[in-house]
Amino acid sequence: MSGSPDGEAVLELGVIRAGDAGRVGPKMARLGQLASAGWRVPDGYAVTASALEGWLPASAQAELHRLFSTAAAGGTDYGGHQRLAALSEQARQIIEGQPLPSPVADAVAAAQARLEQRTGRGGALRVAVRSSAVGEDGRAASFAGQYETYLGVRGLDEVLRHIAKCWASGYSAHALEYRRRFGGSSPLRANDLAVGVLELVDARSAGVAFTLDPVTGDRGRLVVEANWGLGESVVSGQVTPDYWTVERGSGRILERRVGAKLVWSVLAGAGAGNADAELGGTAAEGRSGTVLAPLPAELAQVPCLSDDEVRYICRQAAAIEAAEGTPQDVEWAIARDLEVPDGVFFLQHRPETTWSAAVPESGAAPAPAPSFDPVQYALRNVFKVPGT
Amino acid sequence: MDVSADSPRVFPVDDFVKEELYPGYKQAFGSQPFVAGPVRPFSPADNARYWLRDSLHFSEGMVPASIATLDDAQTWGAQLGAEIVGVPPTRGSVNRLAGTHVYIGTIDVDTEWQVQARAARFGQYVSPILADFGSYWSMRAGELTSAYEHFDNLDLAGMSPAELWTVLRDAYAFHRRAWFIHFEVMYVLTANYLAFYALAEEIGLSGSQVSSFLSGQQTFYSQTDQELWRLARRAQSLGVTEPLLHGSPADMPARLLALPNGAQWLADFDAFLAVYGQRTEETCRIDTPSWIEDPSPALYSIGTFLAKPAGFNFHAAREAAVAERDAQIDQARRAVNGVNLARFNEALASNQAANFAWWNEEHNYLIDRRAAIPVRRATLELGARLTDAGRIARPDDLFFLFKPELFEVMESGGAAGADAGRGQWAELAAMIPDRRAYFEHWRERGPSLPTMLGTIPDTVPDPIMIEVFGLSGHFLETLRAESRSGSGGGSEVVEIRGFPAAKGVAEGVARVITTVGDLHTVLPGEILVCGGTTTEWTPAFGVIMACVCDTGGSLTHAAIVSREYGIPCVVGTAVATTMIKTGDRIRVDGRAGTVQVLAGDAA
Repeated sequence: MSGSPDGEAVLELGVIRAGDAGRVGPKMARLGQLASAGWRVPDGYAVTASALEGWLPASAQAELHRLFSTAAAGGTDYGGHQRLAALSEQARQIIEGQPLPSPVADAVAAAQARLEQRTGRGGALRVAVRSSAVGEDGRAASFAGQYETYLGVRGLDEVLRHIAKCWASGYSAHALEYRRRFGGSSPLRANDLAVGVLELVDARSAGVAFTLDPVTGDRGRLVVEANWGLGESVVSGQVTPDYWTVERGSGRILERRVGAKLVWSVLAGAGAGNADAELGGTAAEGRSGTVLAPLPAELAQVPCLSDDEVRYICRQAAAIEAAEGTPQDVEWAIARDLEVPDGVFFLQHRPETTWSAAVPESGAAPAPAPSFDPVQYALRNVFKVPGT
Repeated sequence: MDVSADSPRVFPVDDFVKEELYPGYKQAFGSQPFVAGPVRPFSPADNARYWLRDSLHFSEGMVPASIATLDDAQTWGAQLGAEIVGVPPTRGSVNRLAGTHVYIGTIDVDTEWQVQARAARFGQYVSPILADFGSYWSMRAGELTSAYEHFDNLDLAGMSPAELWTVLRDAYAFHRRAWFIHFEVMYVLTANYLAFYALAEEIGLSGSQVSSFLSGQQTFYSQTDQELWRLARRAQSLGVTEPLLHGSPADMPARLLALPNGAQWLADFDAFLAVYGQRTEETCRIDTPSWIEDPSPALYSIGTFLAKPAGFNFHAAREAAVAERDAQIDQARRAVNGVNLARFNEALASNQAANFAWWNEEHNYLIDRRAAIPVRRATLELGARLTDAGRIARPDDLFFLFKPELFEVMESGGAAGADAGRGQWAELAAMIPDRRAYFEHWRERGPSLPTMLGTIPDTVPDPIMIEVFGLSGHFLETLRAESRSGSGGGSEVVEIRGFPAAKGVAEGVARVITTVGDLHTVLPGEILVCGGTTTEWTPAFGVIMACVCDTGGSLTHAAIVSREYGIPCVVGTAVATTMIKTGDRIRVDGRAGTVQVLAGDAA
């Protein structure tokens, strides 16, 4: 298949470019652009935001409306955190119980069949079902972090179900709280959300590369953090990863630390992607179909990358940065069954925000608003003075 | 109103002189405008509260004259400091004496209105100080330093009796002021530290790491230790190690002078004392000499360093400590992100600028170990004159008079000269032998006194007591278990738990020490087991393999210094000195916070 008209429910990754961010969200758009520029990325497709807009049947919409109207009567904060959690649970149940409309489901079925065929894995193919929020302004970008991603999903039925779950994750307790606090987004406003379905790289090692030192902002060096297995253990901060700093240009490794890698993230067994495996997935990045397992002792003390692999990843990350024009953080994974460099997949990348935002291109940096007042904090959290 | 030249200018108070303030109420001896009462003996009502033995600061007991300096310090100073800073949960500390030994209790603020009023005051007082702590501390330190310049340069021997008496009164006034500064700064800095600690816990780091983020700063004490090591190396190069290794401090100078290069080394040592010697070995105790008067502690330290064959690379240890600190900070920064990273960085910056871990060492030189020296010098000069006049037997007899006793006799004519007040002196001098015997009696009993008296609480509301004295839930629980099983605990206990203060594992022979005066018995490679350490113990950390303390939390001296010296340390065990005997083989795990007794001395 080549090219897709605007009304298409599904876009193959191979046709997605940077300009498609309005349809598939910046996350998938960047990935498509990266693939077109020759980087190795997981194969897959995206369900467009327009296909998912208004997908919910009228009966379910009415049910949501009733739910939130009743809750709003209890006050603008829905009656506190526990009530909010219960509200979220009810809303998500309403949404997740709905089948996708036939035109969308059919398009996904066709794309899924093509993907299973292209990858040669047939029905055994495991995919990542990734939320990809649409919208370019800062607030939308922040809200994008509220949506979830599900890993290790297998088979058309589960893929369809998880697309609905991604959409429903816009009603998680923290997402509702976010909407409430930052306003502008009523709980009844539909999500502006596309969903990416991508082959899951069964990773031997995975992690993140930063094209500047994320601690100091030093652009003269790159930093790689990684663990054995899937990258989730690194991204979610559940291990102290292996750590390298690499000098830009020379590729010289300046620092090399073996982390205290007590656990790793691996694909769950036969039941991956089913309801049981999802029970543990409560964080913003859901861990459906993957488990956090104790790392075998023989791997814990061993760096999960060779120096050559570190340098290769840094070169690629620097090239992505050059293409994008701003410092990036890049998620990557090395496939278990392939050699480097062929086995190195780039999963997503995004502008590095902390330092890039802190140092504007021109003019003096505005003084950041202080976010920690030791006196107020001591009164509230140390001396526990009521009302502070 | 017209006042003629011969109108009486004096209105006698005679009609109003009474012993009692109201019928049936006699003002207590030594009473002063305290927030919550001066130092006094225990009374039955004290059973309702908890009292912690403060062997951390006062291991050997207090002579009568030191009760006044204790009053100024841990009682008056702490109470005034807490009051002015407005610490919400505590009004400072009170002291009780068991015999001559010091116990400390806290005064909880227990009404909601007072907590709120103090909280408002606290914000107003502390915020400007933390906003520019450097300027604030240099102002306070400058005040202390110029006072020492004044007192240290006085020619006491050449003074008239009246001048000497004025100096003694000035010295007491300064001592009290120094201790207000102590607690004012301490409360400000601990609040800053504890905020960082609580933030670390909130954002998923470990609060116990926070003090290691703040380590590695040079202090006056680390400079002193560095100098002591330099003097040890100098003794080696001059070939004068023999007396330092094997002599007793009393005869070291003579034996050194007998060696070809001995005079050269002693001149070097005297130059060291001129800079670093204005310190005593304990807090508030005016009966303890400064290093200039008695350099034995410094000579012992040098001898101990010489006995450690490998020596100690101060520079390397410091660099390692700094590298470890920076690595831990980097690691912490990688574990948090977004707004929490910004909060972490700001809390760290605030604590680097107003650093309790640093000040906890640094201030000892300016306050704890020095503030009483002017009082001591003036008291001894006065004592020498009274000895010459035959009023007392020896100059340090004056240490066995209470300050109000001394002031009474001086103010009723004694200040005019040693000849005055003969009758009063005779009465006072007669009590001194009994008081000396009393002090000795209690000095011997000191090591057997309980760690806590009164009612052991479930929790302590004052977070400062928890971190500085280590009154954690675990510590209190261990003491309750000990009180149920009888003194000394059960012999079945082979593993003691405490606060993991500095990482690493060490196995070796225990040396149990109850006072800093016995520190010279510690041999290189032993594991120090003690109630708690203070600055004076620091040189031992260069030779011991590990450290275990009864008291202490993340902010205590032993925890901070162990990290600097790279040895394992467990504090807040509550029972280490009662469960472990010198000679026991023990294993210290500083990361787990455990101490195992592997084999008894007799086994």
